[in-house]
Amino acid sequence: MSQDVDRSSAGHLVRLMRPPRARRQAIGYAVGLVGTALLVAAFLPFRDEADPLAKGFGFLVVVVAAAGIGGIGPGVFTSFLGFVAFNFFFLPPYGTFVIGTWEYVIVLFVNLGISVLISILLGRATERAEAAEARESELRTLVELSRELVVRPPGTEAYREIIGHVLRTFGYEAGALFVRDTTHAGGLREEVSVGCNVGEISYEWDPRSKERPPERLPLSIGANNVGLLVLRGVRPALTPAESRILRAFGDQLALVLERDRLLRTATEAEVYRQTERVRQSLFAAVSHDLRSPLAAIKATVTDLLDQDVQRSPGDLRESLEAVDSEAERLNALIANLLDMSRIEAGVLQAKLETVDVSEAIDSSIRQVGRVWPGVAFHRRVGDGLVARADRVFLDRVLTNLIDNAARASSVGGGGVDVVAAHTDGRVTIRVVDHGRGVPPEARELLFQPFYELDQRNPRLGRGLGLAIAKGFTVSMHGEVWVEETPGGGATLAVSIPASEDGG
Amino acid sequence: LNRILVVDDEQQILRALRRALVARGYEVATATDGKDALAELESFSPDLVVLDLNLPDMDGIEVCRRARTWSQVPILILSVREDEAGKVQALDLGADDYLTKPFGIDELLARVRALLRRSRTEGSPPPRFEVDGIQIDLAANRVRRDGRDVHLTRTEWSLLEAMARHPGKLLTHRWLLEQVWGRGYQEDVEVLRVFVSQLRRKLEPDPARPTVIVTEPGVGYRWAAVAPEGG
Repeated sequence: MSQDVDRSSAGHLVRLMRPPRARRQAIGYAVGLVGTALLVAAFLPFRDEADPLAKGFGFLVVVVAAAGIGGIGPGVFTSFLGFVAFNFFFLPPYGTFVIGTWEYVIVLFVNLGISVLISILLGRATERAEAAEARESELRTLVELSRELVVRPPGTEAYREIIGHVLRTFGYEAGALFVRDTTHAGGLREEVSVGCNVGEISYEWDPRSKERPPERLPLSIGANNVGLLVLRGVRPALTPAESRILRAFGDQLALVLERDRLLRTATEAEVYRQTERVRQSLFAAVSHDLRSPLAAIKATVTDLLDQDVQRSPGDLRESLEAVDSEAERLNALIANLLDMSRIEAGVLQAKLETVDVSEAIDSSIRQVGRVWPGVAFHRRVGDGLVARADRVFLDRVLTNLIDNAARASSVGGGGVDVVAAHTDGRVTIRVVDHGRGVPPEARELLFQPFYELDQRNPRLGRGLGLAIAKGFTVSMHGEVWVEETPGGGATLAVSIPASEDGG
Repeated sequence: LNRILVVDDEQQILRALRRALVARGYEVATATDGKDALAELESFSPDLVVLDLNLPDMDGIEVCRRARTWSQVPILILSVREDEAGKVQALDLGADDYLTKPFGIDELLARVRALLRRSRTEGSPPPRFEVDGIQIDLAANRVRRDGRDVHLTRTEWSLLEAMARHPGKLLTHRWLLEQVWGRGYQEDVEVLRVFVSQLRRKLEPDPARPTVIVTEPGVGYRWAAVAPEGG
């Protein structure tokens, strides 16, 4: 907050807080008294020369001045003072209150009447102007505080700034904001405190204590109590105007607290909804992926059990092979689910040993080849390539990457190349497909579990396989990433430390 | 030779069903998504469609809706246990029956036979039934039990007729309510339940173990009595 704003807001509070009546009235009386005395002294040498009526107007000027400064009281006082002084000093016979002519009596009383009338009118006008000024200043303070409340983003930091502003504006030393919290003892939780330590100001106040009572401002919306603002400091009791501002501010603060609470609730609900959505599609995906092979197995086996149907040996073999491959699919899926839950639970412990990379690749290609008999696999692996890896993990990583590539190639064709090389103490294996490829913006996401989850049609698919590959690779101090295959398609690369025993 | 269109996005299930159906003398076409399914429905003009609800492009419910705009071919829905709502929706839209995966092939074949038989008899004169000493004559508006007339209220008659005219078909709550009570009453499942139990008391040999009006839990009812051939 800038110093300017600070000073100006303190400025009109000073105007607001000054005791205008007492001081200005005193000045008014003084002006009346001194003015009348000076006037008498000035006119006295010439009292026989000028017309007494002309001198009467001089007193009117003093009345206007006194009433203008001090209001009705000093004005009326000065009117009577002038009346007496005029009569005594300037109306013959001098030095007495006796008035010689009737004409003078009329002049004297008309003069008094005009003086009093002017005093009253001037006094009223001054009062109105004062009230308007006070109201304007009140509003300005409130507007400033309100703007602070509204423009700041929700949060404890904002409350701290706003309460700081209130403290400076009203001249308190410390303050604490308590918000309603039913889980908290006493139903109020200290949200923020300014100018003192946390817990120093209590929301309760003991009337028997000898300390000065703090200002306690309940924050409520209708009958609904949302919090309490406690302000502590050495300052005179609040004037009615200040009290009004503070109460209005309290109402706004209550609204803002409530708004922030609702905002938080809405955000929490949204997060919950998102989690729930992911959970549901995950559940649907697992259920679909587990049940599909099971359905195929059950349909095929119950078909085979029907002895009324004539079957050629070729048909019989096809059925049995279908059951076998579906059982294999189920097994792979269950292995994936178990691996994923191990990765997510953080219980992976790689047993690092020297592994022959060429052998690992051959074994994985053999496994994947059984699932994708139509896809051609080519390998280019240097001799004697050894890595420091977990034998089982590496097998799962390569199998999942090669399976992913085979799936991509089964659509686009072109086969799968597996290339391994040793560079800078690391073994890098690239699995190259010539499928549709992965758009750059999706490359990071590819290794997230269930990346491929489609809301409407959930399948675990390969999303799980690549997430597992990443989990296992990381546990072996390796890295995995996607590149573009020249000429189209995706290349999935994995790099793990080479073994020092060979290579 | 009956022609069957099988729609499922899982190759393995398609192959298994095709093997089983071909081995039993059906002619089979397959589709793996909704667009293909609707195209095959036109070009292959099957006598029956086996339709999985879970398809990649549009779901089975949508396929059902579009198919029903111009075809009355019997539709057998394949669903998973998690998709109860989708199953009922498809039946409301005019699918004829459903099977929950995984299922035995014998079950599928039984449903297929029932649906094909029903579609052959559709359009023939109103059937007469005779089960366990009850004679129902839809043409004459008459029900006799052990030789004596059974009195049915007007609503009970409409309900009986709505069910008996679709023997073997799984009739959803909504469909029955709309047929008997009209639009705007489709949610009053309790009312339907009351009238079904009244009908059962009057017709079934053992109302506690119904054999004519069979309950399909959570979905609707099925008229299980079979009309004698040519009757």
